[in-house]
Amino acid sequence: MQTESIYGPYEKILPLVMEELTGQIISFNNTVRETTGHPVYEHFLYRIKADGSMREKCDRRGLPQTTHAALRELYDAIGLRIITRFIDDVFQCAAFIRTIPGCRVITEKDYIHDPKPNGYRSYHMLLDLEVPYEDPDGKTPGHYYAEVQLRTLSMDSWASLEHEMKYKQDIRNTKMIGNELKRLADEMASCDISMQTIRDLIRE
Amino acid sequence: MELSRALCAVLNHQGYETDAVYDGLAAVEKAAEKTYDCMIFDIMMPVMDGLTAVREIRGQGNVTPVIMLTAKTEIDDRVDGLDAGADDYLTKPFAMKELLARIRSMTRRKTSFTPARLTLAGVTLDLDSQELSAVHSIRLSGREMQLMELFMQSKGRDLTTEEVFERIWKEEPDEDLEIVWLYVSYLRKKLGAIKAKISITGEKGGSFRLA
Repeated sequence: MQTESIYGPYEKILPLVMEELTGQIISFNNTVRETTGHPVYEHFLYRIKADGSMREKCDRRGLPQTTHAALRELYDAIGLRIITRFIDDVFQCAAFIRTIPGCRVITEKDYIHDPKPNGYRSYHMLLDLEVPYEDPDGKTPGHYYAEVQLRTLSMDSWASLEHEMKYKQDIRNTKMIGNELKRLADEMASCDISMQTIRDLIRE
Repeated sequence: MELSRALCAVLNHQGYETDAVYDGLAAVEKAAEKTYDCMIFDIMMPVMDGLTAVREIRGQGNVTPVIMLTAKTEIDDRVDGLDAGADDYLTKPFAMKELLARIRSMTRRKTSFTPARLTLAGVTLDLDSQELSAVHSIRLSGREMQLMELFMQSKGRDLTTEEVFERIWKEEPDEDLEIVWLYVSYLRKKLGAIKAKISITGEKGGSFRLA
């Protein structure tokens, strides 16, 4: 049994760091809803990676189970997922995140315009957050990483099905299921684009 | 020329619209500027013979069904006609009834004359799986695929909104003409999504062209 969190003394700081970011995004959504009548996202999920999962991830990556590894070698102790109805909303959220004070974008991966070969579509951002708290390097203001995934409802339901398939060992016809998942991803992307097209026409 | 006039008269009487030309080169030009359901060729034609004309038309990626009329009963003539890209032939003299039956059969089975895959400027449309692909891939709905197929088969040629509507939505005359613009908009975005180098140009209600 582990007595101390892998995050060490920063276990209590992580939720505060996360709230700095999520608070900004929630208030952005409220502003958009007030001005347009529609929210910019449908669901907003966030979490601190559970102690056990983080330790497992360290093992998987061949890293020691240390606070340094968890907060400096790995980047998803803080994870956010924004789920939107329309493709353009994904990019509107991403554009907003880039403007948040104290938030620096380290990398962005656009799997919506360049989907993975299996059909995965999503927009990924890796952020460096400057916060008025001490970080694992003992510095104040401190720096913490956060990972953000942005995608539409259909991309999200596809991703959860694909995730289920990936972690299920005893699937027969893996190739057939893989091909079908790819086809589904392309069909859902097609619907997303049609929905966006119709919304653009309505709003013209 | 007399035969052509007689054919047109019979075909028009049967409800077909016809365009008649009297030499091979004119046929090639006509085939490039309009989309037909069926084309009838005579082997013997001035300027450019029927075989060369069909070869030329096929070389441009045009897959419209072609019936070749051959004067002689020589087997070589029929073989040459089919090899040039004709889908069927009739030897003169022939009964008008038989020609009409062949046209019906040809236009009825139109889809079987088109290849399962169309490719243009790096963009591939798979008619079986309804997949449109270039750098990336996407799946089209039935109507979107029909429209994309029409554009790919009419490459470089303007299609009016009315012409597109007539060809894709002819079974649904109650449908609004504006649906053409919506479907063109879908295809434009989807061509963008697969990173195609070609796109559909044109404005709402006007003429469109895949280029």
